[in-house]
Amino acid sequence: MLLLFFADLFFGSVNLFSIKDNQALFDTILYSIRIPKAITCICAGSALALCGLLMQSLFRNPLAGPYVLGISSGASLFVAIATMLLTSINVSGLFLFGKSMITLFSVAGAFIITLLILFISKRNKSNVTVLLVGIMLSQILGALQGLIEFMASGNSLKTFIIWGMGSVSSTTLDDLIVIVPIFILAVVSSFFLIKPLNAILLNDNYASNLGVNISSLRLKVILVTAILVGVITAFCGPIAFVGISVPIASRLFFKTSNHLHQIVFCLLLGAGVVLLADVICQIMSSHFMLPINTITTIIGSPIVLYLLFKSKLHIA
Amino acid sequence: MIEVKDLNIGYVSKKKTVSVFSNINLSFNSGELVGLIGDNGVGKSTLIKTLTGFIKPLAGTILIDKKDILSFSAHDLSKTISIVSTEKVGGFNLTVFDVVALGRTPYISVFGKLNASDIECVEKSLQTLSINHLRDKLIDELSDGQRQKVMIAKSLAQETSIIILDEPTAFLDYKSKHNLFEVLKSLCKEQNKLVLVSSHDIDLMEKYVTKSVALLSENSIEIKKY
Repeated sequence: MLLLFFADLFFGSVNLFSIKDNQALFDTILYSIRIPKAITCICAGSALALCGLLMQSLFRNPLAGPYVLGISSGASLFVAIATMLLTSINVSGLFLFGKSMITLFSVAGAFIITLLILFISKRNKSNVTVLLVGIMLSQILGALQGLIEFMASGNSLKTFIIWGMGSVSSTTLDDLIVIVPIFILAVVSSFFLIKPLNAILLNDNYASNLGVNISSLRLKVILVTAILVGVITAFCGPIAFVGISVPIASRLFFKTSNHLHQIVFCLLLGAGVVLLADVICQIMSSHFMLPINTITTIIGSPIVLYLLFKSKLHIA
Repeated sequence: MIEVKDLNIGYVSKKKTVSVFSNINLSFNSGELVGLIGDNGVGKSTLIKTLTGFIKPLAGTILIDKKDILSFSAHDLSKTISIVSTEKVGGFNLTVFDVVALGRTPYISVFGKLNASDIECVEKSLQTLSINHLRDKLIDELSDGQRQKVMIAKSLAQETSIIILDEPTAFLDYKSKHNLFEVLKSLCKEQNKLVLVSSHDIDLMEKYVTKSVALLSENSIEIKKY
């Protein structure tokens, strides 16, 4: 983790050592670009992995995750709406207001889609159905988003499409003041869900016989997920495959069902994966930005497939 | 221990109320092994769900140790009644030990950590069901009979005075069925628990239970003592 953090600080379009004589430039690059970017990687990776873990346990479905179930798409659509609204009323002076509005919209989008998925999964308990519904929802949301993009002006469209590829490098220190406290708050509150999450691995009936209030647990998981996915999506765009692959890998590597351990592993592994993806991005493209989604998908999905086949599906 | 008075059971949905069985009057004491029999659809599962607090009675009262079941908090109820159902559990790295340890849920701290006495209780439950050799196996690698025993061990770890089992013999072969009832019988005798079992195996019930409750059609109940 630490190694990856420093690697992430080191790699970029400018070689830090070649400019070490120019102290001002060195400081600017390190403190206002590289460090915020590395911290964003950690928050985004940990948050998405944690959301994936929470959702997989709640649905008892190893195929659940914020990206595949369309929760990231929900957040994206609402970000699109917010972006277009903002550019159409053109309030350049209210920049901070704009960002917080986008974040709020993004969280709302994630919340609505998570609620919808939960509602459907209560009626139809099959793992595959929930997944199919998620894919369909993503498609619908994507289409709606396409519609909004079609009607949008050229300028806002470009901003939006670049954002949609996922990026950890556009966050500033000011953004981190928003992201980090929310991230820490959500992570800390997830530790208070350990006991009911462990019990719900049996099934809903056994869990409620063990004294777990199922509806309250559902609401708490949805809140934590929506807030984390919403905030991360608002600032970094929809990041693929971290949410689903990290919890699966974590369960395969660390053979425990206890959420106390799984939450910690997912946080570390998630942060590591996104840091690694960003380092690879930087190495492969030193003069232009490669979207981080490309890398997370390229490393994420084969790992999931390999582990699935190797372990005879025991994660399910 | 359990007293059921003028109970009317069924389901309430937005549109209508469906009564499944009414006018139920029963009483069970600790140390009894009670068999619940009846045709499919007569209301055995509904009665079990009502007795475990999953659904509310349409009318009448259920008293557990002279206290109305509706006045129990979820936490208190989880220390009083435990259930064993035929629903499959497993996946997510759940081992036999993990599942039995989850029986300690009502007693442990919010972060889910087991202390020494919790672990001792889990060990004891594993030994009582003689499944100690399975402790590190994944739950979905087990046979139906073994899994049933694990769920009973979970109930023991939950340390409730009442254990309710919904058709535990459904998927079991002849030998496992007898084995299961031997275990239940000894729990009643040695630990003075009240065990309530629903099953279609009437011959088996007659051999082991101390009391049988048959739900017949038209809201009539036949109670036999053995």
